[in-house]
Amino acid sequence: MVSDKIAVIGDRDTVTGLRMVGATQHFMPKSPEETRSKLLEYFRDPKMGLIIITEPLAKMVEDTILELSEAPVPVILLIPDRYGPTGEYETILKELIRRAVGIEIKI
Amino acid sequence: MSKILPGTKTTRMELLRLKNRKRLAQRGYDLLKEKLDSLIMEFFNSIAAIKQAREAMEESLSEAFSALTQAKMIMGPSRVVEFAHASQVRADLRITTRSMMGVRVPVLAVQQRYPDLPYSLVDSSARLDAMSTKFRDALRAIVRLAEIETTVKRLALEIERTKRRVSALETIVIPRLEATTRHVKLALEEREREDFFRTKIIRDRIAAEE
Repeated sequence: MVSDKIAVIGDRDTVTGLRMVGATQHFMPKSPEETRSKLLEYFRDPKMGLIIITEPLAKMVEDTILELSEAPVPVILLIPDRYGPTGEYETILKELIRRAVGIEIKI
Repeated sequence: MSKILPGTKTTRMELLRLKNRKRLAQRGYDLLKEKLDSLIMEFFNSIAAIKQAREAMEESLSEAFSALTQAKMIMGPSRVVEFAHASQVRADLRITTRSMMGVRVPVLAVQQRYPDLPYSLVDSSARLDAMSTKFRDALRAIVRLAEIETTVKRLALEIERTKRRVSALETIVIPRLEATTRHVKLALEEREREDFFRTKIIRDRIAAEE
């Protein structure tokens, strides 16, 4: 039984909303480099259970996310921002599945 | 032709042992193949579940965002941000694992601690409460999706591993055992024929001497 933290990397609205309901760790990056370094920082935190990141931000650091997603914990999850889903989530999940199983899967 | 296992003696004892090993390998192969089949079935079920959870999450998140916009319109953007940062609500993730076909998959649950008064009632609008509720649901949907997604990832990993073992048994272990069995059998037969001839020649010689 482990209690873990939830972290959010996103734009102002996403962070505000999720902060309201208790995601204590949050960050609004201004550049892809900041996103990457913060992502790595959260990833290395042993008490982190879930990292939520918005799709537009994730698109810029796609390679890092793919690399980090191979580890089971923490879970890195992409969510759409307030402009709606961009399909980035499918791209990343498909790539992960293709790496593991070796076949393309339609989601 | 597969390689013959090194260091095999051509004896009957060895032949029996090889047959037992082959039977074991065959059984392992059958079991693993069955496991692989059900893992793949489970995998596709989870993929379907992901799609549903994803849709539910997107919907509840977009509702939450529209509630956020409304709250901003009533109270002003900076006030909403202020309230969000002052919010006393804390959400933690509780991770337990369960076993699915011998694969440990996580079960995630959010634990949200609500104080009786999360923020000042006088200064906030009812829209803020609505937004808070919406985001709470959204967070729950997000966590549920995270759970299913991790399950899918773990299953994919396990499928890969099982596949490798199945094909190792199929293309290396079993053919090698079969080749070795054949080799031992042939050697034994050859020796039998040699013995047969030897006794024949000796018998002839003895007959000639007499």
